[in-house]
Amino acid sequence: MPVLEAKDLRKEYKLGGHRVNALEGINFQVEKGEFVAIMGPSGSGKSTLLHLLGGLDSPSSGGITLAGQNLARLSEHKATLVRRHNVGFVFQFFNLLPTLSAEENILLPVIIDGKDPRKYKERLARLLELVGLQDRRHHKPDQLSGGEQQRVAIARALVTEPAILLADEPTGNLDTKTGTAIMELLRRSCDELQQTVIAVTHDARAAAYADRVIFLRDGSIVHERTADSEEAFGPRLRGILETMEQLEAV
Amino acid sequence: MMRLTRMLTFRSIRARFPRFALSAFGIILGVAGLLAIRATNTAALNSIVTLFESTSGRAKLTLVTAEADQGSFSEEILQRVQTTPGVALANPLVIVRTDLADDRPAAGLNLGLFGTDAGGLALHGVVPSLETQTRAYTLTAGRFLEEKPKEYEIVLVEEYARDKELSLGDWVEILTPNGVRRLKLVGLIAREGPGQTNNGSFGVMPLDTAQELFNRARNLDQIDIVLVNPNPDTAELASLRANLQDEVGAKYSVVYPSGQGERMTQMLQNYQIGLNFMSGIALFVGAFLIYNAFAMTIVERTREFGMLRTIGMTQRQVVAQVFVEAGILGIFGSAAGVGLGVLLARGLTRLMEVIMNQGLGSVDFASPDILFSLILGLGVTLLAAGLPAWQAGRISPMEALRVRGKSREGWLIRYGWTLGALLLIGSVVLLVINPFPYDVQFRLGSLTVFGLFTGATLLIPVTVGVWERVTRPIMGWLYGASGSLGSRNVQRSRVRTTLTVAALMVGVAMVIMVRGMTESFASDLRVWMKAYLGGDIYVTSSVRMRSDIGRRIQEVEGVYAVAPIRYFDVKWQTPTGETESLNFMAVDVAAYTRVTNFVFSGQQVNCQFALQRIQQEGTVFISNVLAEKYDLGIGDALRLRTASGYRDFEIVGIVVDFYNQGMVVEGDWETMRRYFHIKDASTFLVKVQEGRSAPQVQNEIDMLYGERYHLTLESNESVRGRALNLMDQAFRMFDVMALISIVVGSLGVVNTLTMSVIERTREIGMLRAIGTTRGQIVRMVLAEAALMGAIGGILGLGTGVVLARILFIGMTTMSGYQLTFTLPPEGVAFSLVMALVVSQIAAIPPAIRAARTRILEAVQYE
Ligand SMILES: Nc1ncnc2c1ncn2[C@@H]1O[C@H](COP(=O)(O)OP(=O)(O)O)[C@@H](O)[C@H]1O
Ligand SMILES: [Mg+2]
Repeated sequence: MPVLEAKDLRKEYKLGGHRVNALEGINFQVEKGEFVAIMGPSGSGKSTLLHLLGGLDSPSSGGITLAGQNLARLSEHKATLVRRHNVGFVFQFFNLLPTLSAEENILLPVIIDGKDPRKYKERLARLLELVGLQDRRHHKPDQLSGGEQQRVAIARALVTEPAILLADEPTGNLDTKTGTAIMELLRRSCDELQQTVIAVTHDARAAAYADRVIFLRDGSIVHERTADSEEAFGPRLRGILETMEQLEAV
Repeated sequence: MMRLTRMLTFRSIRARFPRFALSAFGIILGVAGLLAIRATNTAALNSIVTLFESTSGRAKLTLVTAEADQGSFSEEILQRVQTTPGVALANPLVIVRTDLADDRPAAGLNLGLFGTDAGGLALHGVVPSLETQTRAYTLTAGRFLEEKPKEYEIVLVEEYARDKELSLGDWVEILTPNGVRRLKLVGLIAREGPGQTNNGSFGVMPLDTAQELFNRARNLDQIDIVLVNPNPDTAELASLRANLQDEVGAKYSVVYPSGQGERMTQMLQNYQIGLNFMSGIALFVGAFLIYNAFAMTIVERTREFGMLRTIGMTQRQVVAQVFVEAGILGIFGSAAGVGLGVLLARGLTRLMEVIMNQGLGSVDFASPDILFSLILGLGVTLLAAGLPAWQAGRISPMEALRVRGKSREGWLIRYGWTLGALLLIGSVVLLVINPFPYDVQFRLGSLTVFGLFTGATLLIPVTVGVWERVTRPIMGWLYGASGSLGSRNVQRSRVRTTLTVAALMVGVAMVIMVRGMTESFASDLRVWMKAYLGGDIYVTSSVRMRSDIGRRIQEVEGVYAVAPIRYFDVKWQTPTGETESLNFMAVDVAAYTRVTNFVFSGQQVNCQFALQRIQQEGTVFISNVLAEKYDLGIGDALRLRTASGYRDFEIVGIVVDFYNQGMVVEGDWETMRRYFHIKDASTFLVKVQEGRSAPQVQNEIDMLYGERYHLTLESNESVRGRALNLMDQAFRMFDVMALISIVVGSLGVVNTLTMSVIERTREIGMLRAIGTTRGQIVRMVLAEAALMGAIGGILGLGTGVVLARILFIGMTTMSGYQLTFTLPPEGVAFSLVMALVVSQIAAIPPAIRAARTRILEAVQYE
């Protein structure tokens, strides 16, 4: 059974009288432990799709099944609880609380849930090790570099062991080297923690870390490319770039 | 919940502590004001009640003469009272007011404005055995009076004796109509119970002695009546009183001793109304500041709340966090407010003592009062934080993903103006049409205050554009190109502009209201006082002055005219048929008009004619206060009790007179002589011939007659100075409150402008990058503030005038003072200039902050 399933998703914005169809019938499934990248040019609806998948916004029509529940039909409050327990978010801007330390930021979802963060010691240690911030755990966000802040954000997204981790351009605000490290981190959380990951990006290098790439254009899926599990990074990247060129030519 | 609170709320407070403290400031002041006023009121009321209760002792009824002339009556009636059923004891008293011989009294100025006459030494002639059964004296030294002493004896209040350096066994020299007499000080009593009479300047001597020394022959001033049943209920007491009244006949009045306290209680009310109103507004300003601070915090934390929502925080959790913050603020603010209130109450009590000429004793803070203030403070805080909390809850997770600087303009901005217009129109209609009786209106008045402020506030956002376009050229001219840029910024976040403008508006409105009220009240008072204290020299005495003293003064070299004045109490029948007390001010009209003049009120057509009429038989003037309160006019009849029973007097003029709270009628000397059989004077107003030096003439009179007649002379200038000083003290409290609201308003400006600068960090950095100088940036922020100051000033002016009207209605209702609202044009100019200046000063810190923006950092900012 897939972790996440989108069925004929449509999203329509009303902008000063005229309508914008941001998504026009999206269908796809994500299996547990899968790493999916969503690619497409700016304005193609990537962010919109991600927001719908995470229950931040509701679709104009269509259904999203996440961990057995239809998100489209949930009340605001229920959707919040689904987010709390089943979704982890990572954004382009790191969105950390400036008043909390790295460790506290990571534990925030647990605290919001009213749980005792001391019971999450092991999980915290594991995550700190994963993101490599053991010795920076007590630093405040403004004492951390951009890459480090993004790693804190990833750890925070992972702390509740969500069914799915959603990342919107997680490398968009970072230099190439740091961005690579972040993508590697997502890859590792997928491999080591069997974490399901969906990452939005318009960077082919970043997308090359994924098992499957979904190409979006004008609100529709125009192509899907599933990598061979044996395929090395180089050929994968090349494959993606080729696909992009083909789509561009159409 | 607790952990979350610790992490989010506590840290947020710490991160924004100045703002937190600032908003606490508002609530502290509101709570403090409220508590202090409550406590002071209670203390004042209590002290008056206990004063009259303890000084009247066990006496439940008092018999006094019903005749208006000298006040004393024959002893004969004592027997009749004593034998009336239900009476346990009839205690005869002679009451005199005098002074120590070597103690020339301080000029006994009694404006009768705020309190009863005090000063001098009050002495009671008593029958010791009966007196001690009526009142409980606390003897601190010596013994009480003997029944049949061999020498003249006296017992004084210990504190008074100590003040005058008198000790047990000394001979006390007092002034009597027959010269100085010596009495032996045989005992001292504590200043409690009866010892509080006349503020502790009090003593007792045997009845016979008093009658002898003060020419009372076998006359009494008062009989205190102790009843068989020590604690009768109201009905029983009333029927006993009626019986007694029947028994003694119409020549006497049987009254309740504490009745005298009622007037003072009423006097207090006037002042309280004003203060209560003010502290209500202080609380509103406090609430406003809190709303302001919370709204700002929410704007600032929008992304944070949005992010928290994305990671699973529910709306309810967000709202709860905001409320927790408000709760902490409310609890700390209210607690600090209670502390400050205790201090403030001390000051207020002192002021009240000055105004009432009456010691108040200690101020007690009843725990219900404290609790009430705490709960009110907390309640107002939570209420004020309610809307921002609700807004915080509605922040969608998507908000976290938006680029900073884009604040959402909610329905309040879009549709608020309709509500605002309705509120404003409603409030104004309520005030202009006056559909309700005065007292209902005043109560509604406090609601109208809220309606007015809220209405005006809601109208700000839709009008900002218009304001801005009108003033943009001015800002451009004043502050250069960056000035018009700043001016335009006002339109960018209308929420923020609204908050700042509203803060200024409330401050300016307070100043307008206070100034307007003080000005109107003080100018009326000044006009009256000038007439009331007309002439150049003011002559009084602690013993009664015969009219011929006036003639003698008249003959002194350099005296132009001498006007005798006599005040006395008179009973009158109100139009509703009740019997009440009034003060009769008798003047020798011919002499009086040579020295000073009556201030005729309102649409008096012919002063000359009125002055002729008053000298005719059976005519009086009444005060504007009486006219207003009882709806009396020229030609109406006023029913006064004369020496030979009730008689109607024709009202021939209405004059401005605040003496005795305005409960005063004026009549000619002849009228007094004929109808009230009074011949002596309370005061002489002396006018000096032109070209003569008043101090010299004053010296002359003092040398010739000062000693002989125990006169006290004071130049009118100094009397007036003291009176005005007294008034100023009373008004200073209001000024302090107005000042506070201006400070609070300016803190609001600092708050919102700083926010605006922080939000625009990136933009300011960009402006700097493309070559805007620091000075230009500063001017830009100043221009923005100036525009907001202008809008706030104009709106504050409008609301202030309306508020002053509400307050005036309240004053008129309660006291009968018909005040005309006068707001001098310089007052208008002043408040507008002040709003601008305050906005500029408040804008300096944020402007400097903006100028210091580091370009690279700002451009890289996210
Ligand atoms: N809140 C919104 N209101 C109106 N239109 C929107 C909104 N959000 C996105 N859009 C429009 O929907 C389309 C998809 O946007 P988005 O999902 O942000 O694209 P991407 O993330 O791929 O750049 C664009 O045309 C965008 O203008
Ligand atoms: Mg996007």
